[in-house]
Amino acid sequence: MSLLKLEKVTKRFGGLVAVNNVSLEISEGERLGIVGPNGSGKTTLFNLISGVHIPDEGRITFRGQDITRFPPYKRAPLGLGRTFQIPRPFASATVRENVAVGAMFGTLGKELSVNECLELADHYLDFMGLRAHADKQAGTLTPVEKKLLEIARALAMKPRLILMDEAMAGMHPKDIDKMVRLIQEVSDRENIAVVAMVEHIMRAVLGLAQRVVVLHQGAKLVDSSTKEALNDPRVVEVYLGHPPEE
Amino acid sequence: MGKRLSTYGPFIPVLALYVIIFLVGKGVQGMWQVMAMLTFYCALGQAFNIFLGMTGYVDFGYVAFLGVGTYGMALSITYLAHQGMTGPAVIIIGFLLALIFPALLSMAVGAVALRLRGAYFAIATIGVNEGFRYLIEGAKIWNGSEGMIFTSELNQVLGRDTASGLSTFWADVYLFIIAALAALVTLHFMRSRIGYALTALREDEDAAKVMGINVTKYKIIAFITSACFAGLVGGTSWALKTPYVFPPEVFEIHYTIEAIIIVLLGGAGTLMGPVIGALIYGLSKYYLSIILPGFQLLIFAPIIIVIIIAFPDGVMGVVKQRLRGTSLARFIE
Ligand SMILES: Nc1ncnc2c1ncn2[C@@H]1O[C@H](COP(=O)(O)OP(=O)(O)O)[C@@H](O)[C@H]1O
Ligand SMILES: [Mg+2]
Repeated sequence: MSLLKLEKVTKRFGGLVAVNNVSLEISEGERLGIVGPNGSGKTTLFNLISGVHIPDEGRITFRGQDITRFPPYKRAPLGLGRTFQIPRPFASATVRENVAVGAMFGTLGKELSVNECLELADHYLDFMGLRAHADKQAGTLTPVEKKLLEIARALAMKPRLILMDEAMAGMHPKDIDKMVRLIQEVSDRENIAVVAMVEHIMRAVLGLAQRVVVLHQGAKLVDSSTKEALNDPRVVEVYLGHPPEE
Repeated sequence: MGKRLSTYGPFIPVLALYVIIFLVGKGVQGMWQVMAMLTFYCALGQAFNIFLGMTGYVDFGYVAFLGVGTYGMALSITYLAHQGMTGPAVIIIGFLLALIFPALLSMAVGAVALRLRGAYFAIATIGVNEGFRYLIEGAKIWNGSEGMIFTSELNQVLGRDTASGLSTFWADVYLFIIAALAALVTLHFMRSRIGYALTALREDEDAAKVMGINVTKYKIIAFITSACFAGLVGGTSWALKTPYVFPPEVFEIHYTIEAIIIVLLGGAGTLMGPVIGALIYGLSKYYLSIILPGFQLLIFAPIIIVIIIAFPDGVMGVVKQRLRGTSLARFIE
C-alpha cells in the first residue's frame, strides 16, 4: 500500500491552474525528486500535501486516511513533516527549543514529556552537526545552518514522510554533499520517505532520489526512475525551451 | 533538585521583587499607597503578558475583562448582602464570579476573533470593550450608567472594621498574591508544551500549523487564562478596594494602553518583564506627576516611545540575551 497517494489533484489561483490534475504515489521509505522550473507548481503541490491549501479537485490519502480537507495541524501528527523553501525557524527560541517543538507536536507528541522532547532534539542536533549551536537563538544562525535546523526539526517529528522544498538551493556543493548523505542515512535507518523538490536536476537530486517526477506548468510530465528521466527528451525541452528532435 | 531549580528557579527573583515591594510599602512611612499602585501595575502586566507577551496578539479591549471581573465581585456582594448572607463566603463567591465572567467573555470573543490574524484581531477587539460598555449603559444591565455603589453592603457582609481593613490593606495583599500566581502560571506555561506552542505561533503562525500545532486552541488557552487573571485584578482592585463601579471607569481604554506599555517596556513574553515594566512605568509616572504636575504625559510619552523602539525586546529581553550561557541564566526568564 502506498504511503501517500494523490488522485487527480488540481489547484487554481483565480484563472491560473497552479497544479493541474496531478496523480502521484509514494511508498514507505521511498525517495522521490520533484523537478520543474520556477513557477511549475512545486511549492503549491507541497502546500496541498501539507494542508496549507485545499485542492479544488481530487483526493489526497496518507497512510490510508483521506486527508484532503484536514487542516495542517492534523496532518503533522500523522507523520507528515516538511521544510520550507526559505527556512522559517522560530527566531527568538533557541535552536534546541525549535527542534523540541517538532518532537512535541509530531507523531510521538502525546507520548513524550517536554524533557524527553528536549533530549530527542539534542539527538537530532548531533546528527545534523548543530549541537554546538543548541543554546543560540535560531534567528542568529547562518542560512545554511537554518536549513539544517529545519531538517532536524522535521526529523524530530518522527515523520513517515518529509517534504523538502528547495532544501539545497543556494548551498555550497560541499554542504550539499553532506546534506544528501545525512538525509539518505536517516531515511534508510528510520524508513522515512523523502520528497525533495528542486528547480534543476542536479547531482544532489540524482544522488538522493530513486525516482523523479517532472512538473511542467502544473502538470505531471514525467514520472520515472531517475536514470530514465535524465534521458527523457521531454525533460530537456522543459529546461531548454525548444522541442526535442522528432 | 537541579531539575526542580531549573524549572522553577526563575520564579525566585520575581517573588523576591514582590516581597521587596511589599516590605517597602509596609516599612517606609507613606509608601503603602505607592507600592499598592505598583502592585496593581505588576498584576495587570503579569496577567496581560500571558496573552500579549506569549502570543504576540494585541487585545485593545483587554480592560473589559477587568471590568466584568469588577462587576462579578460587585454583583456578588450586592446580591448576597440583600439575601442576608454574611462572612467571607460572599467574597469567595465574588472571586468565583470575577473568574467566570471574564472566562465567558473571553471564550465568546476568542472563539470568533482569535481566528483572525494579528492586525485584524487587534482591530476587532477595539470594538469589544466599547461595545460592552454601551451594552451595559444602553440596556441598563447591572444598573446601567448609574453604576453600583456597595459600601454599605460590604460593611454589612464583613463588618465595618474588616471592610475598611480590606480597602486599606488586604485588597492590596490579594493583588500581590494574584500577581505571584499569574507569574507562576506563566512559568508553568513556559515549561510545558503550551509555552512552546505559543512561542512557535508568535514567531511564525503558518510554520507552527504545519508543525502540528493547533494554533487557535493555544491562543484561546492563553486568552482565557489572561482574561481570568484580569478579572481577579478588577474584582480585587476595583471592587474590594473601592466598593463602587461605574461603566466609564472600568471600561476605560487607557488601562489597556498602560498594560501594553508595561509588558513591552519590561519584555514581552518574559517572566520578570511585567514586574520590571510596572516598576519603571509606575515609579516614573508617580514621580513625574510630583515634579511636573500636569506635564507628565508630555515628557513621559516620548520617553516611552523611544525606549520601546530602542529596546524592542524590552529590558528583560536584553538581560536574558546578556545572561545567555552564564550560570545566572537559569534564574531568569
Ligand atoms: N498563494 C498564491 N496565490 C496566487 N498564485 C499563486 C500562489 N502560490 C503560487 N501561485 C502561482 O502558482 C504558480 C506555481 O507556483 P509555485 O507552486 O510556487 O511554483 P514553484 O514552487 O515550482 O516555483 C505560479 O504561477 C505562482 O505565481
Ligand atoms: Mg517553490
